[in-house]
Amino acid sequence: MRGAGGVEKTIWDRLFLVLVAAIYIFLMFPIVLVVLLSFNSGEFLAFPLEGFSLRWFEALFSNTRFLEATSYSLRIAAISMIVNGVIGTLAAIYVARHAGNNRDRIRLVMTSPLLVPEILTAIALLFYFYEIGIGTDYSIGIQLGHIVVTFPYVFLNVSSALFNFDRSQEEAARSLGAGGWMTFRRVTLPAIKPGIITGCLFAFVISFDIFNISLLLKSLGRNTLPLELFDYLRFNFDPTAAAIASLSIFLTFAAILIIDRTVGLRSLRF
Amino acid sequence: MSATEAAPRVETPTIGVGRIGPVWMLVPALVLLIGFFVLPYLSIITMSLREASTRAVYGEGFTLAHYATALGDPFIWRILGRTLLMGAIVTVVTLLLGYPVAYHLANSRSRWTSLLYIFVLSPLLVGLVVRTFAWMIILSNNGVANKALMAMGLVVFPLQLMNNSLGVTIALTHVFLPFVILPLLGNLQAISPDLAMASRSLGNSRMRTFLKVTLPLSLPGIQAGSILVFVLSISAYVTPAMLGGTGGRTMSVLVVQYLVDNFRWPAGAALAIIMAIVALIVVGLYLKLTARAMRRLP
Repeated sequence: MRGAGGVEKTIWDRLFLVLVAAIYIFLMFPIVLVVLLSFNSGEFLAFPLEGFSLRWFEALFSNTRFLEATSYSLRIAAISMIVNGVIGTLAAIYVARHAGNNRDRIRLVMTSPLLVPEILTAIALLFYFYEIGIGTDYSIGIQLGHIVVTFPYVFLNVSSALFNFDRSQEEAARSLGAGGWMTFRRVTLPAIKPGIITGCLFAFVISFDIFNISLLLKSLGRNTLPLELFDYLRFNFDPTAAAIASLSIFLTFAAILIIDRTVGLRSLRF
Repeated sequence: MSATEAAPRVETPTIGVGRIGPVWMLVPALVLLIGFFVLPYLSIITMSLREASTRAVYGEGFTLAHYATALGDPFIWRILGRTLLMGAIVTVVTLLLGYPVAYHLANSRSRWTSLLYIFVLSPLLVGLVVRTFAWMIILSNNGVANKALMAMGLVVFPLQLMNNSLGVTIALTHVFLPFVILPLLGNLQAISPDLAMASRSLGNSRMRTFLKVTLPLSLPGIQAGSILVFVLSISAYVTPAMLGGTGGRTMSVLVVQYLVDNFRWPAGAALAIIMAIVALIVVGLYLKLTARAMRRLP
């Protein structure tokens, strides 16, 4: 090393940067690839790209099965988001403000669906619904499964917003004569709103994406979009599949963009 | 915290009703999680003990036979071994790839940092089916990888990259990489930069500073990330089901096959429980080993 130490360092720095850049590319490459191929006019899911075309999206939008699956997925995701937005926020406020000594224990229960593999939860719910008579003939089973699995995302994000919130603001409102409800609506709620929005969007996106719960709890003939894509890929391997995949990628990036604009991505909690 | 009723100042500002703690706020969440999460887990256990039946998905009586059958079947052991091995490989590779990224993100002052953060985060939010589909495009016989290798003259015939354990391992590494980066990132960001600076000012090289200061302090992040990835990859269903073929079949795929294709619910439940117990044992051993390593820290 000796005198050349400074030079050597920069070489290592560069090597490190090349390595890191390669890993970033590895992370993004498959996603970029799918989007590129969904706009490719060629018949096959392969390079070289032949030209820009929207024909695969046309094929997608003229396929009623995909449209039905998309609207079913959107519906399940929206209901999961709204239900969890309410009960997850309430639970987070309770745990942050009133749980006392039980805080850690309750928090563990609230985040438990994240701590076990989704496939196990799906299996558990399949047996359970069958035993209590709900079965899988109606959408209620799959819907409850989605709500359970996405619940922790709202709970965690609202909790973290509450944790970062300066409580002296609440005290100030109270000492100025505001009642409990008034303080909540005028002070607390606006302060934790970004956390609620993030949690809700997160719950929506995760619900739209998850597969195992839907696979085991779906009722006959009713597919969510991931299920429909999975089934389609058993017998077909064409750019229409890439168009469906792109659609779900766009949805994800729209959510990421909104989260980034409202609260910043670094506040996300898993 | 003590709040007396007659306190002149509001010491514990409460939201909503009363000072005792409005338990009703927690009730809906508890009903959801106990009713549709905790109780269902109990029914995996009871299901695994039920008798099989030819007329329904399960029979009347109770038995331990499904455990005995599964544990006496070399085929099950082979699948279990393959699942664990794949999980271990994915965990090690994601750690090796994830650490540099987390280190880079934690120390990056560039204005591109938030874009890079999106790079890490977005694969996590794109559905598993979509990401696995992307890997099918890359790894199939006529896929992007084989075409590239052949164009470069590295191989003459397409390599078998899919429908085996190799394809599943590659795709799972990509799928779960963010799960190791994010805990590590949080950990590395929490380490005070003063420590590394102190080590450097005492004449230690960068490499030595990293090995003696940063790396030991990031062990909790390594531990959290690796457990997460291990559990996720041994329980993954979508990726092995789409990419694995029969050669890359894992425990999850086998369990779903029992439940959905063969309607053998009790036997499938027993397999799921065996898998969960094995996973708990492995994670427990790992925690013990890593705890010993971390205790040696100053």
